[in-house]
Amino acid sequence: MKLIPCPHCGNRAQAEFVYERTADSVVPLDAAPEVAVAALFTRANLRGVEEEIWRHTYGCGSWMLIRRDRVSHAIEWVKPIGPKVLP
Amino acid sequence: MTDVTIEQLGRAPLHMLELWGDPKAAAKRIAKALGHDLPKVGKAQGNVLRLSPTTWLVEGEAAAIEAALGDGGALTPTGGGYERVRLSGPAWRSLLMEGSLFDAESAQFAIDCVATTPIDHVAVTLRVESENACLAYVPASHAADLQHFWRLSAGGLPQS
Amino acid sequence: MTGQINFTFDGRALTAKPGQTLAAALLDNGIKLVGRSFKYHRPRGILSAGIEEPNALVTVGSGGRTEPNTRATDLFVYEGLVATSQNRWPSLSSDLGSALQLVSRALPAGFYYKTFFGPPKLWLFYEKFIRRAAGLGPAPAEIDPDRYAQRAAFCDVLVVGSGPAGLIAARDAVRAGKKVFLVEQDAELAPSLLRDPQEIDGKQGRAWAGEIATEVRTSGGRVLTRTSASGLWDDQFVCLSEKLVEPGQVPVNGFTQRYWHVRAGEVVLATGAIERPLTFANNDRPGVMLSQSVRTYVNRFGVVPGKRVVVATTNDDGYLTAKALRQAGAEVIAVLDSRPAPVGGDSEFAVFNAAAPVTAKGGKNGVTGLVADVDGTTQTFACDLIAMSGGFTPVVHLHMQAGGKLDWDEAAQAFVPGASRWNVRTVGLAAQPAPAETVGATGAAKQAFVDFQNDVTVADLDLAWREGYRSVEHLKRYTTLGMATDQGKTGNMAALDRIARREGMTVPEAGLTTFRPPYTPVSMGALAGMGTGEHAQPTRRPALYDLHAAKDPIWLNAGYWKRPRAYPIGAETLAQAGLREARAVRSSVGMCDVSTLAKFEVQGPDAVQFLERVCQTTVGKLAVGRGRYTFMAREDGLVFDDGTVWRLEENRYLLTSSTGGASRMATWLSYVRNHLCADLKVSVVCVQEHYAAMAVAGPQSSAVMAALTGEEAPRHMSVVEAKIAGAPVLVMAASFSGERAFEVHFDASHAEAVWRAIEAEGCCPYGLEAMELLRIEKGHMVVGTDIDGRLTAGELGLGKMVSKAGTWIGAATLQRPDFADPLRKQFVGLVALDGGSIPEGSMLVRFIGGEAEGHVTGSGLRVLEGGSIAIGHLKGGQARHGEDLYAWSPTRKQKAKVRVTSPHFYDPAGERYRD
Repeated sequence: MKLIPCPHCGNRAQAEFVYERTADSVVPLDAAPEVAVAALFTRANLRGVEEEIWRHTYGCGSWMLIRRDRVSHAIEWVKPIGPKVLP
Repeated sequence: MTDVTIEQLGRAPLHMLELWGDPKAAAKRIAKALGHDLPKVGKAQGNVLRLSPTTWLVEGEAAAIEAALGDGGALTPTGGGYERVRLSGPAWRSLLMEGSLFDAESAQFAIDCVATTPIDHVAVTLRVESENACLAYVPASHAADLQHFWRLSAGGLPQS
Repeated sequence: MTGQINFTFDGRALTAKPGQTLAAALLDNGIKLVGRSFKYHRPRGILSAGIEEPNALVTVGSGGRTEPNTRATDLFVYEGLVATSQNRWPSLSSDLGSALQLVSRALPAGFYYKTFFGPPKLWLFYEKFIRRAAGLGPAPAEIDPDRYAQRAAFCDVLVVGSGPAGLIAARDAVRAGKKVFLVEQDAELAPSLLRDPQEIDGKQGRAWAGEIATEVRTSGGRVLTRTSASGLWDDQFVCLSEKLVEPGQVPVNGFTQRYWHVRAGEVVLATGAIERPLTFANNDRPGVMLSQSVRTYVNRFGVVPGKRVVVATTNDDGYLTAKALRQAGAEVIAVLDSRPAPVGGDSEFAVFNAAAPVTAKGGKNGVTGLVADVDGTTQTFACDLIAMSGGFTPVVHLHMQAGGKLDWDEAAQAFVPGASRWNVRTVGLAAQPAPAETVGATGAAKQAFVDFQNDVTVADLDLAWREGYRSVEHLKRYTTLGMATDQGKTGNMAALDRIARREGMTVPEAGLTTFRPPYTPVSMGALAGMGTGEHAQPTRRPALYDLHAAKDPIWLNAGYWKRPRAYPIGAETLAQAGLREARAVRSSVGMCDVSTLAKFEVQGPDAVQFLERVCQTTVGKLAVGRGRYTFMAREDGLVFDDGTVWRLEENRYLLTSSTGGASRMATWLSYVRNHLCADLKVSVVCVQEHYAAMAVAGPQSSAVMAALTGEEAPRHMSVVEAKIAGAPVLVMAASFSGERAFEVHFDASHAEAVWRAIEAEGCCPYGLEAMELLRIEKGHMVVGTDIDGRLTAGELGLGKMVSKAGTWIGAATLQRPDFADPLRKQFVGLVALDGGSIPEGSMLVRFIGGEAEGHVTGSGLRVLEGGSIAIGHLKGGQARHGEDLYAWSPTRKQKAKVRVTSPHFYDPAGERYRD
């Protein structure tokens, strides 16, 4: 039950979050077919550090990018994803 | 005999306020209309609760905000979807630890603090009203279940 | 007699002194035989005084409070306790199962992998006897009447264990200003000081511990006894299992246990060390006990378990037991010390060096003697108690669960905690165990037990090794070593020692099995908390729930929602009610609660741009006050949901989609809005629960709407604002049923008023059963069955509605070559040719026994004329209309002859509602 630092809410228990996808799986809007298909169906799946998209689904609902070691679970950093935000 | 009172307050007119684009200009206009800034992350002020990076929950009258909003965002009625519950008494913080993962006993969760967190598997928005009371906004469909859970749990709180 | 507690064991009325465990009380009453071993039914006594006990497993409590496999050493006697022994018939002393000892040579480890091969039908016959012959206690058959609380807690320092090291750590943390939790699995703090009384800071153990506990409590921390730290996870998250009453005991306020989820800044493990048995023949007899445990019985519980004692030890601690026993009036016949040089010996005892036990003598009534090897010569000692100490194994479980590393302590011959991934440190004997020698197994291998609970002997380990199961993980699975309630706490190190000797390696090289929570057994109830019975999953009630309930409908649990399936009148069956309600919709007018639909309000100048990303159809062509059917594609181009979109105002839209996909759609919309379209000026708000919604459907629905609103009903695919019973409503003209119909959406706060007004117009309430019949006849798809995420819009028959602008997400990936395959599945209709019904979910085949070419997604009826129809997916189905197939369900033994048709059976042109 990791502690995950939500950029909006601060430290919260992992159960409040949903791991959505890896950053390299994102299909950019209006991408060319080859780019879209490559993003959808190939994955680096590193035994190490990757950037992942998580959502604080059962908290504020905001989205974030987390750089995380998938073996040790250690989180390097968390960055918010989304529109410009008022403090 | 329990040290916490669980009051069902029912529904109220609520609006979700969402700002888009660069929110500073709209926020300024709204602040003028309200007489105070829009609350910061994790906080409430007056009838306005900050829910997420781009949304606020407004209870009651929203006309002033609507007028000031212009084309900087939108208000959406959401009151039908929430039941409000007030937890009060010396053990309200203790009750909020039941079926939960959030530190409601922390001194940092103080008056006008807001947090959305799962309680008994339901995402509930909490606002600390005073030393003695906290208001919970509960999704209406889950309200009966949560009422049942809180009522039973109140009978099994540990000694402090 | 005052202070005495009454209890029973196997029906025998006994008394205990206050504070005694059941094991202590049994020993105090002269009861040595407490159980029969798992496989061989060997007579067993009490080995230890703690949670590591492998033998003394009892069943306590009654009815739904029954708890099997309770360790008698971990249960504090209460008034009225009823305890029974397990795994024996008809009684503990005359157990038929003990006959298994005579054939034990045929029942080594892993014997079931090599026997009972056939005939297969007899397995169920064998199984009955195997289940009765082996095992642990029976599970209760009644519902547990008690409650289990679960709560969160946060602290700066969590100290696990209240021995001297833990108490000092707790006290230091409190004095450093920290919020401290101190947890102890025993009923009293500092149990080791009750075992070995000493003064600390001028106070006796109990008083000293009590003062520290007070300091913790008054500083705002917590001290919990009867609380086991069950598991340790990332970022110092620890689960605690607290007994509020003893197993089987009736709780005062209804709560029997509390499970804590604690987040600590730092975890201090003061978990101590567990003593190791010695491995010799018949070391499992009643009267062979762990040496430190004997001291606990003597000093803490006032029980002397034997009169004539042999102490067998590999370390200095055994001598403390000899002293305690002598002080209590027992005769210490001999101290056997495995170590060659006379170290730590006391001349007051008869000490034999380089000595090890070889065979214990005696049977179910206890040991009568011990044959030992004393420096090469055999000597026999008459005794009724053997107190053995093979060294101490630090309790490293919590450290290891969270990815800790181990170091090897050569002097103690034990694993000690090394580096931890988290903020966890170990103090006291768990970090620095007492030095000890190890002695290999002696005596006949077939009777020398390594794992008492699972009946694993040295011979079993040797057999597994010979058969090639040499890695410690294989050994565990093959022999069952280290499983069940004690998880190898007294056996794993001896087994490792044996493997290491066999393999010619050191113990650290042989390795350890994985440590997993829970540390000690946890009640299922504690893990379930309040989520049992009706509350095992959440129940979501639509706003109109009470009004439905008043009609006593047949309910459906649709996801977590409770939705009416039908409202039977009189003795109607579900099928009869459903058909009646559907016919009412076709011929007059019905009302249905569709409040659970997903709904989203999309506002802003960029609303259309956003919606045309999400929806595969156009949206921008809608005028204000108009709406359309739409459907949504995933990034891979396949349709995953459908619904409607309505333009309420210039820049304000309402999007509806399926109930079942509501949270998926909410997440998807949020992802698109926040990640892909962060710059758009759009607000997307989920209003699923804000709006309640009713469908009013049937040829008379227009008249009903006019009567309700006082205005003409909107024309097909238009939306108007109106009032019903004073409440503002949105009226959308759309049909799911195939009749002229309206969806009325309104703030759920007004649910009752609007419902009653609609009902007063004479609408027939209809539920999901009728809705299914109506929509299947119409060929309208439902998400989950017809739209299952595997078909494209074209394959669903929606190709003409796909926006040619291609702005929708997924457009690019639809160009992959796979989608050109003409044998991809397509949405079709089916008509029954043989009068029966078409089984839902059945396979579509050319002949019975043939390969599946599709399946039936929805089965229904022609509502007014009768006759079975269905809809489904079929390979190349759009080109196969007129073909005859079978709908076949071999598992349900059902089949129907069917003809492939268009899925739109009823009014395909929509004349019933088009203007």
